[in-house]
Amino acid sequence: MNNSTFFPYSLPSLSGIVLDAISVVLILFISLIFAKVATIYTQRSLKEKMEKEHLNILNKTIYYGIITLSILLFIFPILKIEASSLLVAGGVVGIVIGFASQSIVGNLISGIFLMIERPVKIGDQINIEGNYGFVEDINLVSTIMRTYDGLYIRVPNETVFTTNIVNFVANSARRFEYNVGVRYDDDADKAIAIIEDLIEAQPLALKNPVPQVFVHELADNAVTILVRIWCPPTEWYSVKMEMLWNIKKTLEENEIEIAFPQRTVWFANELSLKTKDENIK
Amino acid sequence: MKDVFSTYKPPFDVKIGEVPISVSEENGILIYRRQDDDDIYEKMILNGNSEILINPIEPVNLPKSLSPFLLIELEKPLVVSPKSKQIIFLTFPIEIGVFVSDKELRILDIFSFNNGKFTLYGPQNNGLICRYWKSEVFTSIPQINSLHQGAIEIEINNDINEWSEITQIVFNAYGMKIYHGDGRISMKANMKIQSRSIAETSFTLLPTTSLFKRSVELYTARKIAINVSKCVMEHGL
Repeated sequence: MNNSTFFPYSLPSLSGIVLDAISVVLILFISLIFAKVATIYTQRSLKEKMEKEHLNILNKTIYYGIITLSILLFIFPILKIEASSLLVAGGVVGIVIGFASQSIVGNLISGIFLMIERPVKIGDQINIEGNYGFVEDINLVSTIMRTYDGLYIRVPNETVFTTNIVNFVANSARRFEYNVGVRYDDDADKAIAIIEDLIEAQPLALKNPVPQVFVHELADNAVTILVRIWCPPTEWYSVKMEMLWNIKKTLEENEIEIAFPQRTVWFANELSLKTKDENIK
Repeated sequence: MKDVFSTYKPPFDVKIGEVPISVSEENGILIYRRQDDDDIYEKMILNGNSEILINPIEPVNLPKSLSPFLLIELEKPLVVSPKSKQIIFLTFPIEIGVFVSDKELRILDIFSFNNGKFTLYGPQNNGLICRYWKSEVFTSIPQINSLHQGAIEIEINNDINEWSEITQIVFNAYGMKIYHGDGRISMKANMKIQSRSIAETSFTLLPTTSLFKRSVELYTARKIAINVSKCVMEHGL
């Protein structure tokens, strides 16, 4: 392609190579801006109509597609590179790049497999190698996490792909449980009924799978009632926190107390008290 | 009974059941207020020419919009004969939507007189979280408090050569067509039983009159593109 196509007003003082370099930089710059504008437009117009995960993939396809097209259609002709020659060069370059950037290629391939297999999605709550948090973005070579305490973590895709991932929201429901210890003097049946009523009144405690409340153990210091509640996984933490305190308060309002460790001591002989003024009583 | 579900021109005061709702004008700004027990819910509307529309909406938004599915559990299981068509009536919970309108509609507030409850339809790994409701089965339109409950007419088509037992019905809120007026809130739906454990539910239109109108549903107001309005019950009936 003739350079005059891009620069109608020729600059005689600049050599052809410099002019080509400027053209390439300019085209790259314009295509980057165009790609960014296109993704912003797509993001805004489809934000409420598409899932975040799908929209993210679409945006990345548009972004990298525009850049790739601009390289193939405009930059290669300026640099007088034919796409077919790349196939030949690609073999040699591929080996060189393969050795030089083994980990990057590994991450890239892992990223592609992550997008196909989708063990995690953007917005999921996960645990990777002890890092708990939300998946913020899945890029080609890395996955971005935001921990529960607000830290930014970049995990290479190879790590994500090869380590154990715990996805807390992949299934439709998640269970939590409490051990509620009440005193032996208290009515455990009444305590169970109170806890069942509280579960029924909590909208986010699922009706099905049926919650379980039963005497689990006759322990040393308490009658232990086991409470198992299922929740939508996204609401699990808030319901768990709220319910435990509600159970404690409501049981106490009904004169059922949470037991604490205690020991009854029996003396073989009658207890006697000796004072300064008196002999043994 | 005057239908409280209507369009109001501010300023106004209205009582929906025991809930007072008002829109007042203060310095050219509209203030929307709803009193909920001891709490007052308020929003400011920066458009003095707006109108307020109050009508029933899809009952899947409270206490939290977690899922578009509504599961109605039948108080008594229903046994349907092979290759037959039956019509039954169930109740469904009502949620009331308050919209502000000026060329476009925008949801302002949602409230309900019912306590919400969620349930899981299907297995724990790939089931559906649904808003839960329990209903008696009626053979004619039930007499109910129209601020709390509506009546849904369901045409059950048992397309198989076996008796079918129904204990629950799941609906997709994207596709609900809610009607109000004449002292009732209604929907009409179909349930096609395709096998012993699979059925498909969908909503159909009802004839409207000047007294019996179609509600503005939330998905219509939000202009959500609806891809699937049917619900395939593939985890049992």
